Amino acid sequence: MPTIKLIDVTKKFGKGSLAVDHLNMEIKDGEFVSLLGPSGCGKTTTLRMIAGLETPTEGEIYFDDECVFSDEKGVNLSPDKRNVGFLFQNYALWPHMTVYNNISFGLENMKWPKEKIDARVKEICETMRISEYMNRYPAELSGGQQQRVAIARTLAPNPRVLLMDEPLSNLDAKLRNDMRTELKRLHKNSGSTFVYVTHDQSEAMTLSTKVALIRNGLLQQYCPPLQLYGEPNNVFCADFMGNPSMNFVEMHGVRKGDDVLLENKEFKLLFKPNDPIDIKEENDYVLGIRPEFIKIADKGIRSSVISSLPSGMETTLSLGVGDIVLSAVVFGSIDFAMESTEYFDFEGNGYVLFDKESQEKLTLGSLKIVE
Amino acid sequence: MKKRWNRIKTFFSKPYNVLLILFLVVLSFLVVFPLISIIKDTFIVHSSEKSRIHQAVGTFTDYHWKRLFASEFSKSLLWDPLKNSLKTSALSCVVSILIGGTFAWLVSRSDMRWKKLLTKLFIFPYIMPSWTLALAWKNFFKNIAVTGSNGIFYSLTGIQVPTWFAYGEFPIIIVTGMHYAPFAYILIGGILHNMDANLEEAAIILKTKRLRMFTRITIPIVMPAVLSTIILVFSGAMASFATPQFLGLPVRYYVLTTELYASINGTNPGVGYILALLMIFISIVIMFINQRMIGNRKSYATVTGKSANISIFHLGIWRTPISIMAFLLVMCMSVIPLVTFALESLLSYTGVYDFSNLTLSFWIGQAQGHDTWQSEPGILRNSEVYRTLWNSIKLSFTCSMGAGTLGFLAGYSIVRRRGSLLSQTVENLTFIPYLIPSMAFSAIYLSMFATRRGIIPSLYGTFAILALIGTVKYLPMASRSGVNSMLQLSPEIEEAGIIMGVPWVKRMTRIIIPIEKTTIVSGYLLPFISAMRELSLFVILVTANNRVLTTLLLFYDEKGYTQFSNAVNLLIIIVVLIINFTVERITGASIEKGVGG
Repeated sequence: MPTIKLIDVTKKFGKGSLAVDHLNMEIKDGEFVSLLGPSGCGKTTTLRMIAGLETPTEGEIYFDDECVFSDEKGVNLSPDKRNVGFLFQNYALWPHMTVYNNISFGLENMKWPKEKIDARVKEICETMRISEYMNRYPAELSGGQQQRVAIARTLAPNPRVLLMDEPLSNLDAKLRNDMRTELKRLHKNSGSTFVYVTHDQSEAMTLSTKVALIRNGLLQQYCPPLQLYGEPNNVFCADFMGNPSMNFVEMHGVRKGDDVLLENKEFKLLFKPNDPIDIKEENDYVLGIRPEFIKIADKGIRSSVISSLPSGMETTLSLGVGDIVLSAVVFGSIDFAMESTEYFDFEGNGYVLFDKESQEKLTLGSLKIVE
Repeated sequence: MKKRWNRIKTFFSKPYNVLLILFLVVLSFLVVFPLISIIKDTFIVHSSEKSRIHQAVGTFTDYHWKRLFASEFSKSLLWDPLKNSLKTSALSCVVSILIGGTFAWLVSRSDMRWKKLLTKLFIFPYIMPSWTLALAWKNFFKNIAVTGSNGIFYSLTGIQVPTWFAYGEFPIIIVTGMHYAPFAYILIGGILHNMDANLEEAAIILKTKRLRMFTRITIPIVMPAVLSTIILVFSGAMASFATPQFLGLPVRYYVLTTELYASINGTNPGVGYILALLMIFISIVIMFINQRMIGNRKSYATVTGKSANISIFHLGIWRTPISIMAFLLVMCMSVIPLVTFALESLLSYTGVYDFSNLTLSFWIGQAQGHDTWQSEPGILRNSEVYRTLWNSIKLSFTCSMGAGTLGFLAGYSIVRRRGSLLSQTVENLTFIPYLIPSMAFSAIYLSMFATRRGIIPSLYGTFAILALIGTVKYLPMASRSGVNSMLQLSPEIEEAGIIMGVPWVKRMTRIIIPIEKTTIVSGYLLPFISAMRELSLFVILVTANNRVLTTLLLFYDEKGYTQFSNAVNLLIIIVVLIINFTVERITGASIEKGVGG
């Protein structure tokens, strides 16, 4: 299984519109990498460039040491020579072929002997649990079954890399959950490298070993999902991950030794960085607070409950402090009366301090309420 | 009792229910009843058959059935025309799919040059009357052995065209195929154009070779379009009259329609009525096959998707030669025919293509008072021509008003009551005229309205019967466009008006009609243009004093007045084109968009 390396890959559509901007990325053997981002950010284009379905405008792509694309060297390996599997968003099953033929078609292209093809088709159908549908046409299958056929067709030739373009977006919520489990299991069992495009942050979180968050063609952060969640590089990354999303509070800060005294109209907080960093004497900051770090307590900051949305396992609260609205998550089956008064405090050391002007992360730290 | 009365009252308080009931009654009379009437007509003696059957007119006889199926004439009356019809129709399908399909592929998948111009010209035969290419073929290839004069081809090359090439089966197949090639292009091109590029990309990733991809993926996926083309072309070719009449008659090559025409115009209408029934039967079988094919297991509904990135096939060194060949073919189908009509209408003596032989006298010449046809006035000075032109326009206008209005109302009421048995029945009734070949349909109307029916007097030879049959025949076109447009309009839009107490007429004129303006206009435009270039529907029913342009053309052609027939033909085409482009300009609705029926 190869390592995929993208070096300064750029893709322009027509004149000027930049889909992917100098992307540098290394996808290691056996990883499950998600390309994540809002629609139109260039993630599908990146995937198609890896497959060879799209030609980059500039840059180089390597599979291990083999150059599959380079605008300088004039190399452009066609998709069929790259040994990749590609799973399309709409499955792209051939409507005029049975499930069996859809799967065997690619193997026939590779001149496999007949018995071997038959054995492989049966084996992969077994794995994907579609053996009973082998003689049906795609139109006679449900969405989830079509999905599994598409995966079987892609996996049958044992591709070294499996590229997937939002494969779960056409399924309903329950089926999507089942398929996530299945994909993760499949990744484990096959040991192949998976590259997965999605716009759903929870999908990227739950599935991948590494997430590449892209915005307007620019790579924002490329790291394991929990790190992306806990230590976002900038406000965009922080905002994109998590549901309900992170609270952002604009605050003015003054240096107090190693700490920062943050202040706004409603409350004062002392921010203690986890590791010592250079702090400006005075600056404007954005403070990022994950909803689950806000703790309802007997004392602390006084707020009024704007809304309470209990879902059984946890309850999502909107708390109003003057003009500021914060969302908080309280675990357990509890409901709060609307407009009632609650106090809250901050716990843990996962608060993120961003520079307001650059929107970049400065550091992580803990918070203390200053009376 | 009171409850039932209330229910009836509620039912009729809805305008669409009233409309549906009216449609049910009128269409039963105009569509279903004639079908019964024609069956009866195959068993009775008609006035022109007195001398051959020796029985009183109107008495029962099995003479027609016996003569057609079990006599020495069976072969020439039935089996030969049937065989010819099936053969020419089937081979026309092949020709049109080869031409139209290749062109569709070149336009949507290759880097052929001048695509925009070529597609515009390629659709031309669809707008023009069906016999355009047939007459052009004749102008080009006619030979002295059959017509007494040679065509343009001979004068250019000096080669005598063999009769099989100039007349009969071969040219009928080629010409019909070319006429329907735009259908194939539009249907197949539509699928090729909208086909999900992922289907082919999936094959590329799985290492499929180009040829294998074409034969195993691309072709099977356009297969449904090919099949619907086959259905359309086959039934169109089976029903076509003008082309076999112009190209087949000179060598006594008969198909079902021309045989039907000959029988009904000749001395044995009874046989003609049986042939009409046979044609209806065949077209029902075709429709049945069509239905069966649509309902098969491989649904292609999932085929279309986003296809921003279809890979274009590079023709390489063949690019220019192929583009030039396509250009020449398209010229042969669109522009050259018109040139031949103009040229032929200007010849003083047919068959002599020389500058000194050109004359405008067949267009603007004065009447010379002799007894020969050449001394008749030119068509632009001929009051008879103006009378027929006016009659044509009047007729087309009436049919388009009738079919357009009824079609819109039918569409409205069918959609409003969709799902009910009543609505279903009416929808099917409006569709029946589409299933019946034009020639057979006019035979039915002839049998039905030749005599007095209840309060309706005999209509034979009147303008009314032409208007009536045109309206009913074009109703499917208009009602289908009505149904489609009403389906896109949510009932809430009208209901908002109901709640505010707006009466029905005002709801229609102020809400629905303004919204559906474009589709309604095309609902009127299609019947108008169809009626303008219609021949087979009217040819049996017109008499000398209510001729239309198309039958005048046939009349001149049968008489061998080549210059006049070409001039009249050009006149029809010019009128059709002018109307088409004017309406297209004004409303943005275009006839090409209505393709598919």
